[in-house]
Amino acid sequence: MPERAELERTAAPNAAFSPEGEGVPILQLTGSWRLASIERIAAQLAALKPPAKFVIDGAGVAEIDSAGALALLDYLDSNGGAGAQLTGFADNELRIVEQVREHLESARAPIEHKHERMLQRIGRTTIDVGRGVLGDVNFLGATVVGVAHSLLHPGSVRIRELTVQFEQVCLSAIPVVALVTLLIGIVFTYLLGLQAEQFGANIFVVDGVGIGMTREFAPILVAVIVAGRSGAAFTAQLGAMKLTEETDAIRTLGLSPMDVLVLPRVIALMIAMPLLVFVGDLMSLAGAMMIANSMLDVTPTTFIARLREGLDIAHPLVGLIKAPVFALVIAVIGCRMGMSVDRDTRAVGMATTSTVVQSIVSVILLDAAFAVFFQELGI
Amino acid sequence: MKERPETILEVDSIVTRFGEQAVHDGVSFTLQRGTLTALIGGSGTGKSVLLREIIGLQRPTDGQIRLLGTNVWQDTEDNLNAMRRRFGMMFQDGALFSSMTVAQNVAVPLKEHANVPHALLDPLIKLRLAQAGLEPDVAEKMPSELSGGMRKRAAIARALALEPEMLFLDEPTSGLDPTTARAFDKLVRSLVDDLGITVFLITHDLDTLLTVVDRVIVLAKSKVLADGTIDDILKVDDEWLQSYFSVRTVIDARGEPVS
Repeated sequence: MPERAELERTAAPNAAFSPEGEGVPILQLTGSWRLASIERIAAQLAALKPPAKFVIDGAGVAEIDSAGALALLDYLDSNGGAGAQLTGFADNELRIVEQVREHLESARAPIEHKHERMLQRIGRTTIDVGRGVLGDVNFLGATVVGVAHSLLHPGSVRIRELTVQFEQVCLSAIPVVALVTLLIGIVFTYLLGLQAEQFGANIFVVDGVGIGMTREFAPILVAVIVAGRSGAAFTAQLGAMKLTEETDAIRTLGLSPMDVLVLPRVIALMIAMPLLVFVGDLMSLAGAMMIANSMLDVTPTTFIARLREGLDIAHPLVGLIKAPVFALVIAVIGCRMGMSVDRDTRAVGMATTSTVVQSIVSVILLDAAFAVFFQELGI
Repeated sequence: MKERPETILEVDSIVTRFGEQAVHDGVSFTLQRGTLTALIGGSGTGKSVLLREIIGLQRPTDGQIRLLGTNVWQDTEDNLNAMRRRFGMMFQDGALFSSMTVAQNVAVPLKEHANVPHALLDPLIKLRLAQAGLEPDVAEKMPSELSGGMRKRAAIARALALEPEMLFLDEPTSGLDPTTARAFDKLVRSLVDDLGITVFLITHDLDTLLTVVDRVIVLAKSKVLADGTIDDILKVDDEWLQSYFSVRTVIDARGEPVS
């Protein structure tokens, strides 16, 4: 009779007291008491009006799983039926019910949810930020010592790692840096040109673009690109290595993660960044030249001639001097966040986000500091 | 009796090739409901690959797999999704969602696939934890705060959430200390005996094989080398199998003599 068995198995669960009669009232259970019908089970049980004493008949139960048993026992426990006798259940069903009964007490204990109040949260975040900054400064110190050591002993630099990193952070970054700075050069010139045209001061746009792009925009733009590209990559690479215990392996092999992993990245980025800024300078001026020709009637020849007169070499130099400093900060933050990842997959994502945010904020703060510094020096 | 003795899993002439290399070349077996079966084999014999093929994560080159009445590689996505609620899988390192607490991990399948009334949800989560042998206070911990053994138990709790008919375990006792591993064996056995769940596990643990497993399937040379109770397997005349179990004899020789 497979059909009947199948019918029974899919029958909806029911719970009802047998009609009033002699003796102890009987709670008759029928149908399939499985998790799939848990909503109906709960509703059926909730609708019952239990007498003081009753027995439970499970002969009509097609099957019961531990979720169904839990619903039943939870109901009995809350309605003074904990001692109710179970009859008519098959052996395997009884085993399930008994197993659930064993765990009932701990299952019914409420889960204590951790809640963090506003003040707690502010306090914890403040401490976290403080620790983060302290850790960055600590790591910066160690890295600067490492870089200085490498300068004094160039033989100790790991050339292979350095070149691999250099290829990734410099050569592969050139297309995106070139594209972005070219477009910003065009846009910036266009905006300046709109204003300058009104006063017939077209030619001075060249001065403005030259100074603005080479001194400020190219370094900042490149730093933002590098923070998103290389800083985030450093954190993700080192974080993943931390997760798989590769950094620990490096340490146990008698090598220093600082020498093998951090310094090649830091040095590569410090060399790469001025080069990238230079690319940015050229491309943004190229963009400016393109639009100046069509919009402001400043021919390329005039543009270059004016650039020679109006753009003091100090401006591009200031931009290029800032570049390695930005690079150091980005590389240090990227490496330090990667090295401080806990053994937790979620941590890599959070650390990577943190790297990009910290790097961009630090670069802009540094840039402001540089502006004040060069102002005082009169450059 | 309301038991349902029937075939729950049918693996039919599975062939798996990675390029030139044939990992499986006609692997076939069937599993009956309510049994505890172990899959063993040397490294690189494709145990994990076979498991991934059975549960629909990786497509075999050829062959059929019928799990819970559904053809895993031919049925519609709707049927497959319905079938996926009827089995549970514990990955080797637990694969708990790291951004959620243990309780939230267990709650994921319950909230997605079952209409559990609110009042019953917390008790049900706690019951799953208890069934997996975890204390209730683990509920609010993050997976990263757990030890390896607890992570595996939490993973079992999540796999059990929907009270599956079948449970797949990938090396449940690897990386556990012997005491924890034996407790784990008992837990798995009780899932079969008390809850009637069919369990299929991959293992390298001889103690698991010798104590709790009903049936052993040996994968070697791209085929099923042997299939039967542990006593049957011990009698098979095969070099690899002999050396596999001889490790055990050495250990036993120091303690109690092997029966």
